[in-house]
Amino acid sequence: MSLELEKVSILKLGSTIFDPVNLVIKPGEITTVMGPSGCGKSTLLSAVSGSLDRAFTLNGSIRLYGRELLNQPMEERNIGILFQDDLLFPHMDIGSNLAFAIKEKTSRAQRNRIINKALKTAGLKGFEKRDPSSLSGGQKARISLLRSLLAEPAALLLDEPFSTLDQILKAKIRPFVFSQIRRMNIPALLVTHDPLDCPEGGMILNLKKEEG
Amino acid sequence: MRLSRQEISRIFPVFVISLFCITVIAGLLGTLLPSMNYLPVIGNTRFSLSVWFDFFSYPGIQTSILVTLFSGLTASFGVVILALLFITVSYGNALWKFFEKILSSVLSIPHAAFAIGFGFLIAPSGWLIRMVSPGLTGFTYPPDWILLNDPAGISLAIALVIKEFPFLIMVTMGALGQLDIEKTLLTGRALGYKKEQIWLKILIPRLYPHLRLSIFAIIAYSLSVVDMAIILGPSSPPPLAVLILKWFNDPDMSFKLIAAAGSLFLFFIVLLSILSVYFIERSVGGFSRRWILNGSRHSFLGSFKRVIFFMGSCTIVFTLVSSVILVIWSLTWQWRFPDFLPDAWTLKFWTKGLVSSLDPVITTLFTGMAAAFIGLILTIGCLEHDVNSQKNQIRKNKASNYNKTLYYFLYLPLLVPQITFMTGIQLLLVIMKMDGYWITLMGSHLLFVLPYMFIVLSTTYQAFDRRLTDQAMLLKGSYTMVLFRIKLPMLLRPILFSFAIGFSVSVAQYIPTILVGAGKFSTITTEVVSIASGSDRRIIAVYALIQQFLPMMMYALAIIIPKSLYYNRKGMEV
Repeated sequence: MSLELEKVSILKLGSTIFDPVNLVIKPGEITTVMGPSGCGKSTLLSAVSGSLDRAFTLNGSIRLYGRELLNQPMEERNIGILFQDDLLFPHMDIGSNLAFAIKEKTSRAQRNRIINKALKTAGLKGFEKRDPSSLSGGQKARISLLRSLLAEPAALLLDEPFSTLDQILKAKIRPFVFSQIRRMNIPALLVTHDPLDCPEGGMILNLKKEEG
Repeated sequence: MRLSRQEISRIFPVFVISLFCITVIAGLLGTLLPSMNYLPVIGNTRFSLSVWFDFFSYPGIQTSILVTLFSGLTASFGVVILALLFITVSYGNALWKFFEKILSSVLSIPHAAFAIGFGFLIAPSGWLIRMVSPGLTGFTYPPDWILLNDPAGISLAIALVIKEFPFLIMVTMGALGQLDIEKTLLTGRALGYKKEQIWLKILIPRLYPHLRLSIFAIIAYSLSVVDMAIILGPSSPPPLAVLILKWFNDPDMSFKLIAAAGSLFLFFIVLLSILSVYFIERSVGGFSRRWILNGSRHSFLGSFKRVIFFMGSCTIVFTLVSSVILVIWSLTWQWRFPDFLPDAWTLKFWTKGLVSSLDPVITTLFTGMAAAFIGLILTIGCLEHDVNSQKNQIRKNKASNYNKTLYYFLYLPLLVPQITFMTGIQLLLVIMKMDGYWITLMGSHLLFVLPYMFIVLSTTYQAFDRRLTDQAMLLKGSYTMVLFRIKLPMLLRPILFSFAIGFSVSVAQYIPTILVGAGKFSTITTEVVSIASGSDRRIIAVYALIQQFLPMMMYALAIIIPKSLYYNRKGMEV
């Protein structure tokens, strides 16, 4: 009972893109949506996040802790997204990138402590003043995840978050991401086309198109 | 009811469209009424056609009209043909790349400053004749040739070509990004066509629609230019636009009626010219179809290549040398005729000029900054409205796109001759007894500042990576925070650049300042034009350089500020 998708289907020009989706993701769980490119994985994700393009029509219900999301704008859904690209803000240092995510009404000292601690868990202690473009791909991916989590989302969506990394880096980043999600104890929905990305023991949903 | 962001931001395009509509209509009405003998301020309230009779029977009016047509149309045709041929022969080569680099600084030179420098070059006692005297010419005194202010307006037309050339090249560079030049060239060459042939037969026909509005703006400008015409154009009789200004400023108020009729007539000339160019364009398009498909791969341009190349380079050399000659004159103490350089130098005229120009410079700075700042808010507001209405996924109301309409309205002030438009506005302000306020002066600048700022900022603004704002929105949930902490800071460079353009357009305004300012405000530009004839060349040079320096300073800041703020942010370098 946390992130629930009930009979979710998406229509484009009157025809559905995939079979209706029913999902229940509990806190700390990561459900993987798989399928070939063009099957509508990312469209499903944007339906949950609220960034669905106007060309699509959405049916069904998406609830987060019992709260209906469909009529809420993106920024009020309290959902975090991790994209393929790190999307770090290039004009801010790492510390400011993280600070931007922290809720208001946090004192500056507290803010710095939170950032310091977060960086330490990622093995990036002392990176506060660094320029985002001076970081390696793996470091950026970790910062990006930390930033999403510091906003204290009620759920996290991951849109092929590892696809720009090479196999060795992927193997290192995956456990970090999964452990952070479990630690935060929030439901997560992961979209990928790489079977290796699925966390052990997590649920897997294969998206397919209705025949006929 | 809570209004959506889209509904709130709609206020920006709606405001801009109404502002432009109202002022253009007011401007035309303000010339139409007085031209029909209606101007209550001087007691004329009975409509009649007498003003038009006075206008057409004014001594020398035919010559004025002919000079206007000759210099304006020669300049427009000259610059369009030169620019198109120049692209054909030099796209992608070293000179083209050099152009790309210096373009914005060349464009920032105000018309008046350029005209003065150009005059110092081509005058009988100018630098060009000094360069070859007495060696080649044997002159020890300046010849009594009429090179400047020639009665046909040839020197004016040449100066207009040189000044408009970089503008048209800049518009072209923007448009070329939307065509796959390299692929087309490759395909065409694989079919055995010469590069120039591919340009003339395939690329230019595709490029032209992107240039059309700018070409119309060039025609309108060339036919109605005042500041450059005062400095370089003929004086007895002067081109129509200069004559209108003279009438307008005549102490005898009844001349304002003739000025209004003249303005309306000039508008008619511009309209007719634009329409004929449109029809010429259509018929050339029709005739050339056969030539395009005739299969001939032979390029007749090959032999002219050098000439076009030379002429294109000349425009840049003339622009740069016009600035150099201003610097030399501003530091001159004594300069005998055939000598190539002065024989005594001084800083006296700088100290004198800096002190005496202080007041106009302050007015220029305030007006330019205010106009550019308001222009920036309106531009960003309109562009944000565009973004908000594009992806309004929740409330699926029809997101009417005001910005498409906006593009056409933005060109309005550039297509109606400035003097027509401003004469009308000023007469209307006089009728309403609201003339001579700084705020109306600044508003009149805004009309010309805004289009350029919008055109310059829109491409970069629309190309902004939406995912960054989406991500920021998810993290923070506050639109204002995302706009002011993420999007605008990331766009700082193009924003400041657009500000600098707006400022430089404001600095260069002559007609709005003279007319709407009602003689109460003098900017550096009105000073430069008013001292251009008859004053000491050394003090003129100082003033022209100050006028040229103000926009350059703003461009420099637009480069330096982002560099120093983001000196340690590699991701912000473009």
